Amino acid sequence: MPRSGKIGGALSGAAFSLMLTCSAAFAGETHQVFIEKFEFAPANLTIKRGDMVEFVNKDIAPHTATEESDYLWDTGELAKNQSARIEFSEIGTSNYFCAFHPHMKAEITVTPN
Amino acid sequence: MKLIKIAAAAAVVAASFTAPAFAEEKMNDLEIAHTAYTAGGLDIRYAHLALALSENDSVREFANVMIRDHSAVNQEAGALIQKLNVTPQDNGLSQALVKGAAEKRAEFVKLSGKAFDCAYAQNELGYHQIVNQTVEGKFIPWATVEPLKALLEDALVTFKAHEKHAENMVNGLHCGS
Ligand SMILES: [Cu+2]
Repeated sequence: MPRSGKIGGALSGAAFSLMLTCSAAFAGETHQVFIEKFEFAPANLTIKRGDMVEFVNKDIAPHTATEESDYLWDTGELAKNQSARIEFSEIGTSNYFCAFHPHMKAEITVTPN
Repeated sequence: MKLIKIAAAAAVVAASFTAPAFAEEKMNDLEIAHTAYTAGGLDIRYAHLALALSENDSVREFANVMIRDHSAVNQEAGALIQKLNVTPQDNGLSQALVKGAAEKRAEFVKLSGKAFDCAYAQNELGYHQIVNQTVEGKFIPWATVEPLKALLEDALVTFKAHEKHAENMVNGLHCGS
């Protein structure tokens, strides 16, 4: 069952709801990042604001995709073949890692639409 | 298949793996499955010991990763065994692993603090090194059933990540000083 989440942990309530409105108005695309052999692929992904990223774990080992600076977003634990979607409504680069295997690192860049 | 309640010892495990009686004799698929499952169970058992005895964050974090990952791998192995409707075969290598781990565990429960952390961390590093050499150099080439080979290959990626993680843990603990 895919789980979904939204970023915004660092934003104030007002700014956050404004962004949600913006992103709701924009029919974004959904991109996929596969977690396979202890790597995120693609390791560098560029998307537009409001797009979704679906993280799919293909490994036997459970993984997460977790924002690195302050846990701004997090897929939670993904068992084999599980996936989770995250919506990106803030422009900029998100560095993320696997909370279980911290050497697994990747980034997503969000550009204006 | 029962989960064997034991902890592992790098030195003893290394000796077991390199002993001619085990290393040179080719094992069949059912023996390989048994030993791979046993080795995973031993590491889980060991991680529980670490969670009970260690207060070090990096050690506890590593132990949690071991429990999570080895449980997932063994769950896949269990599912495969069920699907193929076969019974893994106990064998000399599995028995040596279990015995060596029991001895090491008895030694480790007497330790605490940094002495335990270092003993556990170094043992995990040695254990994963030996297991990885065996899985990569022997079990995968020896396996004849395709899904077993594929599972071992997947498991090896996981165990190699553990080896690297163990190396970082050992370095971070500064056990020499
Ligand atoms: Cu991971």
